[in-house]
Amino acid sequence: MTTLAVISGGLREPSSTRLLAGRIDTAVHQALAAIDTSATSTMIELRPLGRAIMDAMLTGVVAPELEEAFDAVASADGLIAVTPAFNASFSGLFKSFFDVLPEQTLWDMPVLIAATGGTERHSLVLDHALRPMFSYLHAIVAPAGVYAATNDFGAQRGSAALSERINTAARDFARLLRSCGARTRRDAFADELTEMQRLLGAASQCKDTATIED
Amino acid sequence: MSGMQFGVFTVGDVTPDPTTGIAPTEADRIRATVTIAKKVEEVGLDVFATGEHHNPPFVPSSPTTLLGYIAAQTERIILSTATTLITTNDPVKIAEDFSVLQHLSGGRTDVMLGRGNTGPVYPWFGQDIRAAIPLTVEHYDLLRRLWREEIVDWTGEFRTSLQGFTLAPRPLDGVPPFVWHASIRTMEVAELAAYYGDGFFANHIFWPSSHTKRMVQYYRQRFEHYGHGSAHQAIVGLGGQVFMRANSQDAVNEFRPYFDNAPVYGHGPSLEEFTASTPLTVGSPQQVIDRTLGFREYVGDYQRQLFLVDHAGLPLKTVLEQLDLLGGEVVPVLRKEFQRGRPADVPAGPTHESLVKAAAQEDRQE
Repeated sequence: MTTLAVISGGLREPSSTRLLAGRIDTAVHQALAAIDTSATSTMIELRPLGRAIMDAMLTGVVAPELEEAFDAVASADGLIAVTPAFNASFSGLFKSFFDVLPEQTLWDMPVLIAATGGTERHSLVLDHALRPMFSYLHAIVAPAGVYAATNDFGAQRGSAALSERINTAARDFARLLRSCGARTRRDAFADELTEMQRLLGAASQCKDTATIED
Repeated sequence: MSGMQFGVFTVGDVTPDPTTGIAPTEADRIRATVTIAKKVEEVGLDVFATGEHHNPPFVPSSPTTLLGYIAAQTERIILSTATTLITTNDPVKIAEDFSVLQHLSGGRTDVMLGRGNTGPVYPWFGQDIRAAIPLTVEHYDLLRRLWREEIVDWTGEFRTSLQGFTLAPRPLDGVPPFVWHASIRTMEVAELAAYYGDGFFANHIFWPSSHTKRMVQYYRQRFEHYGHGSAHQAIVGLGGQVFMRANSQDAVNEFRPYFDNAPVYGHGPSLEEFTASTPLTVGSPQQVIDRTLGFREYVGDYQRQLFLVDHAGLPLKTVLEQLDLLGGEVVPVLRKEFQRGRPADVPAGPTHESLVKAAAQEDRQE
């Protein structure tokens, strides 16, 4: 069983970003099924978390609903991240979520990146904004992302082409998920404590018993 | 002072009163701090602790100067810090300052150490925030030795070596001040406190209670691991934050503008949200009693409870009224209730007398 987290930075209702996130998620499930893997997904919409994200950024206080979203991402085997393109980049809300997400959450995590925009001319947002950020966060970014412009959701011909791009990216991502396998959740606290114990000259005698209970 | 200790800790911010726009001068604020400390003694609380900050809008940059002045005007309360920066202060100077304070106050001194999380402060004192943790470990190791060993030979990474150095004055009765290690969110501090069997103080007020629970549990478990006693005997302190009026709605109405504009968390979560996820309690004295007694459910029987009551521009008169309520209505009930069901082998809050007694016992055993 593969656990996925899906992040949609869409703002409006209905939102084309949310729509794209759903379609990619479905395609990834199908692609995983084709290689005999079942999957479960948690959809995280950032719009209702907007205030909590900003509170966390300004005051460090993380509201329970945001904590839940962090937890869903941290315990996933892979992430599908979809943002609208604003001013030649990801939206501020999308970026802010990853700015307050605890460090190391995305280390070694396969990520499929996707974006929506008004015209095709913004499609490089995937490779010029999303990919560098996720690389910086030590994620394993799938080579193929999905970019969808307004045209893709309109014309008959356009939407067939979008479906094909989604399926291609989903198949690549499924293979990436399979080869990466189940992911061990990162525990930044445990890493810090190991370092502290080393500094205190006690690493050898306490390594076995150092656990953190919730 | 058997059982738990109760007191206040101050950040020492100079903040305009948001309801009047009037800001106290630095002199006003420092004198108000002294008045608050004397009131702490007058209303029957046990501890006054001051923060240490090196930038406006804060005034307490020299805590032992302030505490020495307060020591001269009080007779009973313990004078402490919240926190003394173990990273940017020279451990030799910390040892000296607190030794003198200990002698002047007749042993009514302990110290709470913290790393300090204000990046720009580090270079002002020749340090680098990126080395905060190794600095903490090295400086604290030296501080302990200065207080415990007559002649210290020491070499480290962050400070010039010491050869044949003797701290003067030696600690009062040969017993160093009790040390607390304070943390808002950093688990490493719990490890440090547990390693040495020192006290662990969870700031508690800026971070959800669920995290405080996790840190304290970890500290207790590690305290036992390092052989200082059972987990339930570890020395725990907690912060808290209250605003009271006889009628709870009056408390909410009066405190809201201060909360909304508070330097740390203002313009963020609402008063109601912050109250739900942190120990902030705004209401009647009975609500404060109930909430505070609830802390024991997630940290166990503990030793010290400090309240923040004097920040965000609250006028001195209001702060003194809060202390009247704490001393008159809240703490007497808390003392009694916290004692109920408290196992006999849970230590009381540490004092100079209890440390002298423990040291004498250790001598006899050796």
